[in-house]
Amino acid sequence: MPALLVVLLAALAALPYFAPYFYIFVATEILIMGLFAASFNLIFGYTGMLSFGHAAFFGMGAYACALLLLHFEVSLLTAILGAMLASTLLAAAIGFLSVRLGEVYFAMLTLAFGMMVYAVAHQWRSLTNGSDGITGFRLTEFGLGLDLQLFNPAVYYHVVLVVVVLASLVLYLITRSSFGLMLRAISENPERVAFCGVNERRHRLVAFIIAGLFAGLAGALFAPFNRVASPDMVHWTQSAEPVLMTILGGAGYFLGPFFGAAMFVLLETWITSFTEHWMLLLGIALALLVMFFRRGVLGTLLDKVTGR
Amino acid sequence: MRTARVASRLAPLAVAGIALAAAFGSTTQAQEGDPIKLGAIYITSGAASVYGQYAQQGLRLAIEEINESGGVLGRPLTYEIEDSQGKADTAIQAARKLVFQNEVDALVGLDSSGVATALVPIMPELQRPLIITHAATPAATGELCNRYTFRVSANVNQNMKAAAHIAADTGAKRWTTIGPDYAFGHESWEFFGKYLKELDPDVELMSKTAFPRFGNEDFTPYINNVMALKPDGVLISVWGGDLVNFVRQANNLGFFEQDMEILMTVGAATEVLAALGDDMPEGVWLGTRYWFDAHDNPINEKFVKAYMERHDAPPSYNAEGAYAAVYAYKAAMEKAESTDPEEVAKALSGLSFEAPNGTITFREGDHQATVGPTWGKTAAMDEATGVRSLDPMRSFDGKEVTPSVEETGCKMK
Amino acid sequence: MQSFIAALLNSLDIAMLLFVIAVGLNIIFGVLNVINFAHGGLYMLGAYFTYMLVGRLGLPFWPALLLAPLAVAAVAVVLERLVLRRVYDRHVTDSLLLTFALLLIIDESVRMIWGSGIHVVRPPDLLRGNVSFLGVNYPVYSLFVILMGAAMLLALWALFTRTRLGRIVRAAAIDRDMAQTVGINVPLVITGVFAFGAWMAAVGGVIAAPMRAIDPGMGDKIIIESFIVVVIGGLGSFPGTLLGALVLGFIHGFGGRYLPEINLVLPYIGMALVLLWRPQGLMGRGAAA
Repeated sequence: MPALLVVLLAALAALPYFAPYFYIFVATEILIMGLFAASFNLIFGYTGMLSFGHAAFFGMGAYACALLLLHFEVSLLTAILGAMLASTLLAAAIGFLSVRLGEVYFAMLTLAFGMMVYAVAHQWRSLTNGSDGITGFRLTEFGLGLDLQLFNPAVYYHVVLVVVVLASLVLYLITRSSFGLMLRAISENPERVAFCGVNERRHRLVAFIIAGLFAGLAGALFAPFNRVASPDMVHWTQSAEPVLMTILGGAGYFLGPFFGAAMFVLLETWITSFTEHWMLLLGIALALLVMFFRRGVLGTLLDKVTGR
Repeated sequence: MRTARVASRLAPLAVAGIALAAAFGSTTQAQEGDPIKLGAIYITSGAASVYGQYAQQGLRLAIEEINESGGVLGRPLTYEIEDSQGKADTAIQAARKLVFQNEVDALVGLDSSGVATALVPIMPELQRPLIITHAATPAATGELCNRYTFRVSANVNQNMKAAAHIAADTGAKRWTTIGPDYAFGHESWEFFGKYLKELDPDVELMSKTAFPRFGNEDFTPYINNVMALKPDGVLISVWGGDLVNFVRQANNLGFFEQDMEILMTVGAATEVLAALGDDMPEGVWLGTRYWFDAHDNPINEKFVKAYMERHDAPPSYNAEGAYAAVYAYKAAMEKAESTDPEEVAKALSGLSFEAPNGTITFREGDHQATVGPTWGKTAAMDEATGVRSLDPMRSFDGKEVTPSVEETGCKMK
Repeated sequence: MQSFIAALLNSLDIAMLLFVIAVGLNIIFGVLNVINFAHGGLYMLGAYFTYMLVGRLGLPFWPALLLAPLAVAAVAVVLERLVLRRVYDRHVTDSLLLTFALLLIIDESVRMIWGSGIHVVRPPDLLRGNVSFLGVNYPVYSLFVILMGAAMLLALWALFTRTRLGRIVRAAAIDRDMAQTVGINVPLVITGVFAFGAWMAAVGGVIAAPMRAIDPGMGDKIIIESFIVVVIGGLGSFPGTLLGALVLGFIHGFGGRYLPEINLVLPYIGMALVLLWRPQGLMGRGAAA
């Protein structure tokens, strides 16, 4: 079984050698968005909290990374670590205020905080360059003494692949740990967990912070990939993307969000090629997928395979 | 261990998916006699999609005209369009797709400043010429300039220098602004103030201004605030659907009956004027990058006639920008006798060609077309087109309003 | 003083339009437990139908006020029966995603049918011009919006508290199974409630048509605002929606006037403050709604 996972990873690693050039960019985007969605799923699928402001941490990561590269010309690794730190702090602050709220109110409060971060990115023109965003930062070196040509899309893709795989591994281990099991228990029956003397709110907060940290990592990979950190990356429409990807792929499965991200990005790439009315087709596709793949596409496919 | 099993079952699926993607992505080499492909990036969905629609009308018209008369270098022209959604990262991914997947020979497009500031710096990686037809941020042909990037339309710098001339001539002394709260609104006010001060050092640029958020629907509080300031003149850089809302609400509040000079920097946009009809009051100064009725030359005559036959409405500035860009590529490819991107970019630099708004030259120093906007005062309704006519009207010569290359901050690489 | 009155009147007409739209959203949530993203699309459809009836076919405004919402309600019946019905037994996020898909479909269909252009509808002659009110120039049409909002408020209150139909709907909202066992045709009630919510959104669209630019982005603009109204007021609370609409109306009217620098973020600051102070909204029922 692990052998097949290795085959998948090998195929991904070899992708630049057999896929058309443009698909390096597509695959990079899928990996980054997949990580973003997977971080969201730690609080959604595993803890039962629907956040509508997750882009705040993604955007924070993107901005912190871009600013560090622009003003301090640090290595990419340093910038990424700095970005993760910044996102973690932001997640701690927002999470502290939000996690005590019930489902829909939690979604709307995180939306509100997300839009406040958006407003800061949009209005603090001296720091963030306002609506135009931060561009013109340079990728000099990766760090750790590695001599990587980061401007080469294939090299950057491989960097992203390694980082995303490592991050996913950590996330996966978290979900399998006793902490992760506690999160599931909370999402299934918060009252009972609280009754057992577990500090439910603190578990939620920690999950929220970890999710923010990994969303920040995804954002920190995204800004150098597109050479820009812009307010769009913090807007609520950006927060909607991991929600769509996760539900589409299957929130009950660790790889569901990655699968959803792949479907979403590929659908968008293909549909926009042959019609201007891609929103219509995307809408129809989404509606059909939700109606007929009730455990997400990955979940439903697996159910078919395992004959459940 | 369920997840591990899940992963293992997923693997063949994923491998199949990657293979499928590769199959979708397979491309063929371009050959002699194949069409020359232009890649277009505009907003084609959502509230601002009207701009993408106009640009496409201009592209199509120019391409059909050129193909009917033998194409370029004996090859027909064609185009593929991608939606930028007005977002920087979406536009960049769209540009990569057009260049690497669809293998377009050249790029044209861009509706927003944010998209332009993000995309222009990566043009050296894409190695294709890009002609910007709408986005107005001075940076694209200023500090961000590079050898692949050109702009055929007037930028904020040029438009505000012209606006300052109009404003100085009105004699109004105390000025304020109402503009959208993003780069375009703030830059417009900044450049307007700078040039107006140069022309008339006595003017006062008020510190109280109004920048409602973009996409705002109720401007009443901002209009009331500005009216309470009692300025002599107001620069309004609100545009599109927001401007339609603004003008109707301003009418209700008696804004236009005040003793003020009013300049709307993108007011003479046909989509706005057609929607407003006679809700747009008379006696207001409107600016535009291009006005269909302002240029007396055979190309403009042909363009306006052909456009009106097709769409039963006068062409908007965004249709003209895209139309002109196609003719710029035609001229450059014929000058270079090649469609090679490097050669075409070289040929575009310093190129002069005929467009509906006159003879246009891409300056060598910063690749900005030396074009001037048209400003006019709203007058009687023109029954034939359903929009207000402009009288008096003043089309600025590009040389008059384009700052020197040194001032733009461009260091061409 | 005059500027205060102007801001007050301005806030009121914004609030009443928001109330008409958001109350439909809240009723749908209360009975169907669906967070209806497509609500913005249905509002937009109301405005476009009005544009078609008034702007293209040359009908007066008043029949459009009657016809356009009915047409949208008919669309809603189809959507509910064919699409939404399938996900009621699932988690609320599935319906969220499904209605988001519907919003995409409605948005793009509108663009395909009516184009990307900007349209306007002129107010009827009766409602044009201004009145002077305590020394403030006030558009007659804004006065009409306030009166319409108040009329809807009274009618809804009477419907829910004074009629059998209202009690049936409330019963279905509180406990579907119980309602079913006492002989209420719950599926029919649900279809009816969704159509009614859509009808309210469309009434909002018709009212907005003569004062707001009609373009393919108008549905997206209103939906988050409506969510904010509902959440500030409290999910499932009818008086809460009115309160939420007033709060947001005041934020826009007074915020734009006195705090214009932070106008972008004021609605969100308002919502966050309310939720931090009262986690279930101003008039919501308990935390785990």
